[in-house]
Amino acid sequence: MASRPTSPPGLGGAIPRFSWPVSLALLVILGLTGWSAYGVGFDLVELLSGGGAVERFVSEMFPPDLSAATLRATGVGILETFQMSFLGALIGAIVAFPLAALGTREAPTVGMSSVERLLAAIPYHVARFVLNVFRSVPDILWALVFVVALGLGPFPGMLALAVHSAGVLGKLYSETLETVPSRPVEALRATGATELQAFLFGRLPQAMSGFASLTLYQWECNIRSATILGFVGAGGIGQQILISMNLFDYPKVATLVGATIVVVLLVDRFSAAVRRRLMS
Amino acid sequence: MGQRLVLDGVGVRFGDAAALEGVTLSVKPGEKLAVIGASGAGKSTLFRTLTRSVALGSGSVTVGGRNLYALSWRELGATRRRVGTIHQAYNLVPELSAGMNAALGEVGGLGRLATLRTLLLGPDAGLSRRVEGALQQVGLGERVRARTADLSGGQQQRVAVARLLVQRPGLILADEPFAAVDPVTAERVMAALLDLNREGATLLVNLHDVAAARTFPRIVALREGRIAFDGEPKDLTDEMLAGIYEGDEKRVQHEEEKLGSRRREPMRVAEGRDGVSAH
Repeated sequence: MASRPTSPPGLGGAIPRFSWPVSLALLVILGLTGWSAYGVGFDLVELLSGGGAVERFVSEMFPPDLSAATLRATGVGILETFQMSFLGALIGAIVAFPLAALGTREAPTVGMSSVERLLAAIPYHVARFVLNVFRSVPDILWALVFVVALGLGPFPGMLALAVHSAGVLGKLYSETLETVPSRPVEALRATGATELQAFLFGRLPQAMSGFASLTLYQWECNIRSATILGFVGAGGIGQQILISMNLFDYPKVATLVGATIVVVLLVDRFSAAVRRRLMS
Repeated sequence: MGQRLVLDGVGVRFGDAAALEGVTLSVKPGEKLAVIGASGAGKSTLFRTLTRSVALGSGSVTVGGRNLYALSWRELGATRRRVGTIHQAYNLVPELSAGMNAALGEVGGLGRLATLRTLLLGPDAGLSRRVEGALQQVGLGERVRARTADLSGGQQQRVAVARLLVQRPGLILADEPFAAVDPVTAERVMAALLDLNREGATLLVNLHDVAAARTFPRIVALREGRIAFDGEPKDLTDEMLAGIYEGDEKRVQHEEEKLGSRRREPMRVAEGRDGVSAH
């Protein structure tokens, strides 16, 4: 009899389909799923039996309220939301830009002493820290902060969007700056350009179309966020939706929500088309 | 105008691998020489030591009588401004216009205010005239405003030459400038480099084409980071060449392709092997 392989054929044969780490990861995911479902009281029966209430809510929305007063309120809300999101993205971009420039890691210059390296790292870490704080606090929390500080209205909402946008854009900008081809930048430095000049003429032009695309996308996200910010009193159409909800004026809610969806879809399409052109 | 170069026992390491070892070389002002060697022999690294773009492991590099690696930032900037580089991959900024890229040859000499002015409004009248003249000289006079990314490879290499003409450097480092361009452009680029050399600039050219290297009065050959030959082309025998390119299969392939057809193939060097893409 020919000699057999030393190990007995196990599950899946000689070449295991799943390695130990993968199997372990699957187990962990399964465990987390069960634990989380228990924690939130996941109940399909409740979901399906809740249908009646949803049906009542939806049927009360129809026909939507298309009276002149409601349409005017919707228009004002939409415009306010639009203005908040636009200014938020623009101010966010303006704040993000210098922070991103500082938060971009340049290839260490040859012949730098360790003290110089350390000093050069300080602005980088400060900028990254500020951007992280801006970004990791959700815009709705920023809105709460500004509403408490400045009172109700669209202005604190716009500020919240601006701060959050600055954090998101700053991070994405600096990633764009870092992934730009570095050879043209090196070539500039090798012919005596200063760090600032190499950045302005070498790195920045290569990142600009990426910046524009990211900013448009952030504006898109801001429109969506701005509809929510009204729930904490920070202006926009969300505030109207909340008020109508509290008054059980569901036909008006239907008009407001419908208009919101249309505007979000329109801005989405517009920004996607512009971004496609930027990228080509 | 030309600059004297002295390399004394230069060694450069990338991690464990030695890219250059004990390289000693002296180049007179206004001299022109060709550097040859297999891929990964250290040709590009040698050039990068001349602009202090790579850390030096041992030895010293002297450019124009000054120890390059002991200069302050300001002095290094001033020294680099006199060094012009031209590469196989052009290394232009694709989003800027051809004219702006050519003008960047001068950017190191601009003060802070002039830098901002140039960024927002473009080069001033004097620089613009020189840029136009330089682009005319390389046959791209009417493409000043063209986006560099829209130009062909050969045209981009000519823009890179125009950048040199604007810069008027005392030392020119041409790193495989003909590897990715058509023969007509190659000739044109070569003529422009030789013109600058005749006007006094020291000229160092990395070449993959030994026949082209033989037209230079002096050839330096690198093999595995060391100088394998330094002298006139007539002293470079075929046996020496075989030793210099020994084990470089790409080279053999390249030669075979050339025997089959005279078309120039752009040379592709594996990432990191040429010492430039390793950073």
